[in-house]
Amino acid sequence: MTPSQQVETTLFRALTVLRGVVTVYMLVLNILRWDELARPGVAAAAVVFMVCWAVFVSWAYDSPRRRTLGLYVADLAVALLMMLSTPLVQSDAMLDRHASTIPSFWVMAPVLAWAAGRPWAQAVGAAVLVSATDLSVRTDLGGNTWGNLFLLVLAAGVVGWTAEVLREAVEMRAAAERAAAVQQERTRLARAVHDGVLQVLTMVQRRGAEAGGDLAALGRVAGEQEAALRALVQHDARTLARDAPPPGGETDLMVALGRLHPGRVTVAGPGAPVLLPAQDAAELVAVVSACLDNVRAHVGEEARAWVFVEELGDEVLVSVRDEGAGIPSGRVEEAAREGRMGIRDSVCGRMTDLGGRAELTTGAGQGTEWELTLPRRRGTT
Amino acid sequence: MTDGPLRVMVVDDHPMWRDAVERDLAGAGVEVVATAATGTEALVRARATRPAVVVLDLQIPAPNGVEVTATLVREDPTVRVLILSASGEQSDVLEAVKAGATGYLVKSASSAELLEAVRRVALGDTVFTPGLAGLVLGEYRRLSEAPAADADDTPRLTERETEVLRLVAKGLSYRQIAERLVLSHRTVQNHVQNTLRKLQLHNRVQLVRYAIEQGLDEELG
Repeated sequence: MTPSQQVETTLFRALTVLRGVVTVYMLVLNILRWDELARPGVAAAAVVFMVCWAVFVSWAYDSPRRRTLGLYVADLAVALLMMLSTPLVQSDAMLDRHASTIPSFWVMAPVLAWAAGRPWAQAVGAAVLVSATDLSVRTDLGGNTWGNLFLLVLAAGVVGWTAEVLREAVEMRAAAERAAAVQQERTRLARAVHDGVLQVLTMVQRRGAEAGGDLAALGRVAGEQEAALRALVQHDARTLARDAPPPGGETDLMVALGRLHPGRVTVAGPGAPVLLPAQDAAELVAVVSACLDNVRAHVGEEARAWVFVEELGDEVLVSVRDEGAGIPSGRVEEAAREGRMGIRDSVCGRMTDLGGRAELTTGAGQGTEWELTLPRRRGTT
Repeated sequence: MTDGPLRVMVVDDHPMWRDAVERDLAGAGVEVVATAATGTEALVRARATRPAVVVLDLQIPAPNGVEVTATLVREDPTVRVLILSASGEQSDVLEAVKAGATGYLVKSASSAELLEAVRRVALGDTVFTPGLAGLVLGEYRRLSEAPAADADDTPRLTERETEVLRLVAKGLSYRQIAERLVLSHRTVQNHVQNTLRKLQLHNRVQLVRYAIEQGLDEELG
């Protein structure tokens, strides 16, 4: 059963209740005016037939398979026929005082069946047909007739339209659910594939490093690809888990730093996102990158480096360390005096612009260690 | 510690890694007494073979590496768990360490590093990476900032321990740290070990407290 058929079935079950109510009304009404009827025998047959039909058609509508155009037409035809029997059954006195037809409100049920299961225009057509038949059996027009017929046509249109929108909405939701399920399955498969690829890349990196020579270079590239793919997968997972990137234009410093020279640079942090305003984070990453470039330039392309991020209450502290020979004491000051502002300009100056500070610890044989301190800005939410 | 070769179990769901690690260890004279591909296998085979060291991948079919670590250490407090994980330093590494693992190594480490790590873990040492040191420092900081931080049982680092961990996080080896702080290698090792021990103890206390609060102590007892 399609989702829209399920919705229809639900509507028809509601209609069954309504049909029960109007059938009882029709029954009680005709019993109360029994003595007035011109031909009670024909009336009794019509009433019994309508009760039976109500039971049958309610059963028939309950299955999508049985909801054929034939059934709708038969349902409507029965209603029209019952209305047309009115002049045969009712006395002149009754017809004169605009008494209800024999089926009375019972005719509402087939019209609403059309509204529930057919396009809304057809439902309005059925309502108009019922109205015309009602008018045809009346000797003159008056009383509540016009009002009742107006409401019937209106109800057919409104219910028909609503049912149509409902069917479409349910189909759309089902399509969205199917798409989500497909996506989920793809994600699950992708995770397995990614995991396999990551494991193989790590193995290539490990074996390459052990083999040396050309294979070492291959291993290093594999290591970089592994780190890049892992960062991507983890970033995806985090974004999905959170449903959205960090709020308020903030950036996770750890994710941003993870993209720097994977493989060669080890990044350690507190294990939770370190959120900074996006601009601050970008500038801080640029400074760290400048420090790392400095490592490459002075220690060598293959030099390892360590980046360590700490959150100290109101400050974020980033340490960048290498294992080079170190800058002999006095060299930084010397360079600054000579106007070669290299390190001081790109690191100290930029950190000061950010409202933070940079300290360099170095010495012959100890490598270089930058400590970059950035105060958290107040007022960012 | 028994005499004879070191008894090790290797747990990894990737046959490629399981075989490689097993080959590396066996080649160096370590006895690989069992291998396992899932958490359930790992627990069953550890009970049967009683390894001294379990080399454990965290991302294995259920129960996961963290649960396996907790169960292994609870059933046999002398077993040493060395996490060998492909994942970067994520929170599950910290959870495994809190559950009782005493070593952590990334899979990209060389065979020599792996062997060294297995031997050191077997001796009762802790094997740290810079990433793990960062996580542990972060955890202590979170604990000290948590609402219940004024409680007496919140674990705290001494100044020296913080200093040592920060240097580990910056990539210094124990030997370099010892040189820089003018300490013995053993003292550095002890400081590092203490940081883990306090965290693991706190974790156990928390679990017991949770169990009592939930009324599970009677069922367990």
